[in-house]
Amino acid sequence: MEKIQNKFRVVANKKLCPRFYRLSLDAKPLVKSIKPGQFIHIRVKDSLEPFFRRPFSVFRAQKYADIFYEAIGPGTKILADKKKGDELDILGPLGNSFSLPPKGTKTVVMVAGGIGVAPFLIFSDLLKSKGYNLMLLYGARTKGHTFNMKDFKANGCQVFVATDDGSVGTKGRVSNLFSKIPPDHKTTFLYTCGPNPMMAAVQAFAKENNLRGQASCEEVMACALGACLGCSIETTSGYKTVCYDGPVFDLQEVKFH
Amino acid sequence: MNLSVKIGKAIFPNPVTVASGTFGHAEKYFNLEEVKKLGAIVPKTVTLMAQEGNPPPRIVETASGMINAIGIENPGADAFIAQKYPMFKKIGVPLIISILGHSDEQFMTLIEKFNAVDGIAAIELNLSCPNLNHKVLVAQDPASTHRLVGKIKRASRYPILAKLSPNVTDISEIAVAAENAGADGLSLINTFTAMAINTKTRRPVLGNLTGGLSGPAIRPIALHMVYKTAQRVKIPIVAMGGIMTTNDALEFLIAGASMVAVGTFNFVNPRAPLEVLEGLQAYMKDNQINDIKELIGSLKK
Repeated sequence: MEKIQNKFRVVANKKLCPRFYRLSLDAKPLVKSIKPGQFIHIRVKDSLEPFFRRPFSVFRAQKYADIFYEAIGPGTKILADKKKGDELDILGPLGNSFSLPPKGTKTVVMVAGGIGVAPFLIFSDLLKSKGYNLMLLYGARTKGHTFNMKDFKANGCQVFVATDDGSVGTKGRVSNLFSKIPPDHKTTFLYTCGPNPMMAAVQAFAKENNLRGQASCEEVMACALGACLGCSIETTSGYKTVCYDGPVFDLQEVKFH
Repeated sequence: MNLSVKIGKAIFPNPVTVASGTFGHAEKYFNLEEVKKLGAIVPKTVTLMAQEGNPPPRIVETASGMINAIGIENPGADAFIAQKYPMFKKIGVPLIISILGHSDEQFMTLIEKFNAVDGIAAIELNLSCPNLNHKVLVAQDPASTHRLVGKIKRASRYPILAKLSPNVTDISEIAVAAENAGADGLSLINTFTAMAINTKTRRPVLGNLTGGLSGPAIRPIALHMVYKTAQRVKIPIVAMGGIMTTNDALEFLIAGASMVAVGTFNFVNPRAPLEVLEGLQAYMKDNQINDIKELIGSLKK
């Protein structure tokens, strides 16, 4: 049985724009076993502050296992100070993963907001050779936050961007880009990850147009192993844990608040 | 080296276990050969009927700990016995089953159900349940604790551990009541009632408003409660409350606990109970202690 708790070395921790980082880990067992949509649970410091580990979607798993994160709270700020050669205690891979689009799908649309783009690069790495039209609708704060788009374009994704300040793409919310989604429920399949209000908008649009899809959810986690039941969210079939039953759920199953 | 401890007629190969609610069904993720080394496993508290748990958010990180308000989400006794128990049984480690009833009758029905199940080491009563008058918890009232523990002890086929709440003036009073009622052992301590407020929204962080504080933040208080109780009772104590390391576990054993449970820290380091056990063995070897009993309650003054 693969060990779930390991120590891996940081290979790079690059600041991509103010507050946003991409951290690469020399983690061969993870690279080998991780599936798009799964996450890892990092102990950012061998001390009691912060107390919990922090969960991160894997952004890419090629030579190294990469995460993409925003240094915004006490945990991610400590992570931002990690240097090449530092060792991190990691649990993973954890959670379920994105399902492949159902038979008959021609267009795969990924709708992401902010840091919610994280699980989609590794997913497009998997999908690029499978003959789908790949589309990414991305909502970001400013042009400076859209630097990852070149990686998606390199994977053959059609990329549409909406920024809060209109510095690139459409001004306003990502929902302004929903008109790009081919509304054919037999051939279009949606994936979404981002703030709950954004995913709720995707859910409503999908329902209106009879489109199917999946949502990758986020919640504060303690164990991330399905033990503490602390990260439960409300679904149409009762409470479910994001860490163990998810993080990927059917788009219509989640009750976004 | 003898690490085994006895509670009532139950024998545990070593004194290291996990606190209820912190092991879950995580056994799927562990190397079972390693888990088999534990002295006991305590699955999450089981109630008579299924409980869906509290509305989210259910947890909040605090200084050196966390507050949880999970709401004892569990499938109910029948589903636990049919679906989960066989899985736990297969691990081969002594099982302490934690139960909670919302009334004396529910507790008695739970005991009947678990009497019919073979191979349990002991039953732990989660006494942080509403009392008859619904004003205080059973574990906050010596007379109620005495009544309920006595009733259950008379009906139970298995040794009984009373798990006590720290939300009292003097926990040793409740402990004595449980001992007098026939409890085979005590579990100390449950969580401290606590809360957190989101200052942006001015709303409580937890969906349930209040929750239970656990983790290393409470450890020195738990240690004192175990010490104080051990002075007054003869029955064994299973100690929990922020235990993370071998040194933490040693403190509780020296203060008078017979067993130690890692709880909240499992969420940070799932191997912590095994590391505590390894460290305990090393400590005994280094200090030429041949029997864990030499260590229990060995505090010098």
